[in-house]
Amino acid sequence: MAAITLEAITKSFGALKVVDDMSLDISEGEFVVFVGPSGCGKSTTLRMLAGLEQPTTGRICIGGRDVTSLPPGRRDIAMVFQSYALYPHMTVKENMSFALRLQNLPKGDIERRVAEAARILHIEPLLDRKPKALSGGQRQRVAMGRAIVRAPSVFLFDEPLSNLDAQLRNHMRVEIALLQKRLRGTMVYVTHDQVEAMTLADRIVVFHKGRIQQVGSPELIFEHPANLFVAKFIGSPTMNILPCHYDGQFYLGGQALDLPVPDRLRPALEAARGRDLLLGIRPQALRVVRADEHGPGLRVTVDLCEYLGTETVVSGRLGAAPQVQVTAVLPARAGLGG
Amino acid sequence: MSDERPKAASLSHYAVLVALALVCLGPILLMAMTSLKVQADIFASPSFWFFAPTLQNYRAVLVEDSFGRFLGNSLIVASVSTVLTLVAGAMAAYAIVRFRFRGRAVVSWATLLLRSVPLAVLAVPVFGIWEQFGLLNSLWGLILLYTAVNLPFTIWVLYGFIAQIPHELEEAALIDGCGPLRVFFAVVLPLLRPGLAAAAIFTFRIAWNEFILALVLTNRATRTLPVAASLYITDVGIEWGKLMALGVLIALPPLVVTLVAARQIIAGLTAGAVKG
Repeated sequence: MAAITLEAITKSFGALKVVDDMSLDISEGEFVVFVGPSGCGKSTTLRMLAGLEQPTTGRICIGGRDVTSLPPGRRDIAMVFQSYALYPHMTVKENMSFALRLQNLPKGDIERRVAEAARILHIEPLLDRKPKALSGGQRQRVAMGRAIVRAPSVFLFDEPLSNLDAQLRNHMRVEIALLQKRLRGTMVYVTHDQVEAMTLADRIVVFHKGRIQQVGSPELIFEHPANLFVAKFIGSPTMNILPCHYDGQFYLGGQALDLPVPDRLRPALEAARGRDLLLGIRPQALRVVRADEHGPGLRVTVDLCEYLGTETVVSGRLGAAPQVQVTAVLPARAGLGG
Repeated sequence: MSDERPKAASLSHYAVLVALALVCLGPILLMAMTSLKVQADIFASPSFWFFAPTLQNYRAVLVEDSFGRFLGNSLIVASVSTVLTLVAGAMAAYAIVRFRFRGRAVVSWATLLLRSVPLAVLAVPVFGIWEQFGLLNSLWGLILLYTAVNLPFTIWVLYGFIAQIPHELEEAALIDGCGPLRVFFAVVLPLLRPGLAAAAIFTFRIAWNEFILALVLTNRATRTLPVAASLYITDVGIEWGKLMALGVLIALPPLVVTLVAARQIIAGLTAGAVKG
């Protein structure tokens, strides 16, 4: 276990700046998840942590030690790849013990550690098989086993579940969460899957265009997004972003909407009177009321209802401004006819 | 009725195959049979099929004419140059595939161009150069030359195999604590086995069969089997029995190498490494 510090890291490939002046502290034993759309720099940052890419400028410390110029093998890290990257010419046991054999550990020690990891991951019957004789889920476990046996200071995961089918992915996600509780290792996990991010992370780091947009607990990121990108990126379906202005109450395309304003937002809102604003409302925060019912409400023309069993996703357009899309997530049996 | 046509088709199919097989195997059969005949039987038409087989020609070749020595020369030259070619070729191909360096494209095209130079063209200049370096008439001279001429082909065969190895495997090895050389020898080289086997078959055969350069660059002590075989074509006639016996002896080692190497050519050796 070790803390990680990234200091003013920049990475350019030619003229293309992939990571731009990034600084981040990760505490010992913390589970940090990097999320962001494709090409946002999250994987490159992980690869710089691993030593597979060299930062153009900046410094990386692991456990208080400057590792910026150290090769991957001397950083005391283990990495689980998206493609698993198992050595095809070695058995499962040889795959898992490869790093330990390179360290010239005593044979008994290696056997014990491999057996322990195999027990934790339930892959004991597979130890003598070659990777090609394993299913996707089993390969995934072996790849994790290869990381566990080394008892590294830091575990790095590069989208480890994205090649699995949905059911197996959920299952392995739970296993990773349990594993982290058990090992209490420092873990850095890259994904574009919000569910993985929200469920696994102690802290989430949201990336966009090579920059950190926000760092915080899943609750903080969800409840208090730092900017429009984070607001739209986290949460499914995407948050409704409604152009409006404020003049004592909100106006959306000419339609007045009297919403209660939290005290902490009031000063900023007063200062922005008359200016163009964006009002963000989570689809889950909306509900359907009768057209003649009193209270704050938006008139919406419904285009599509998607029944998902536990809920119904309703998509439509704002009555007063048809170019604005609105999505609501309602309980499955919520009547729309009213 | 509908069976008639396929039957006829398959009959003619087999006829063509048999004819082709005869064309290929006929000379070999003739060589093997002639090698077992005494000189008197060779041109006597009644004994073409029926003759008393004898190993006399083989004894003459191996014992009396001391061709054992030339067999040794050929084995040393072909195997050492094959091993050198494979090691150097695998490393060169790895560098061309994985490393970005100035002149990389030029190097890869130049290698291919070199392959198009006919071997005979090299004989005279190499003779001069080898004489300067004291490599003339030595086995090392021949080994180095065969390694050089076989490298382009080996590099191009292995290039394809290396390009197919997922890059993550090498990254995983780096993280596991390998240095660059260890990555190559512990992870890349074992996965190249099918490519190495394919290249070995070709390099061994070329080094084993090559005649012109061996004729020019060796002497009576260091000559290889193809050159030695030409000794049976003399002013006073051709010693067919011995020539054919030697032919059989020359044909066997490449056959063994090919059979052993071909077993290493297993498709999909990297299967299971990464999710496809």
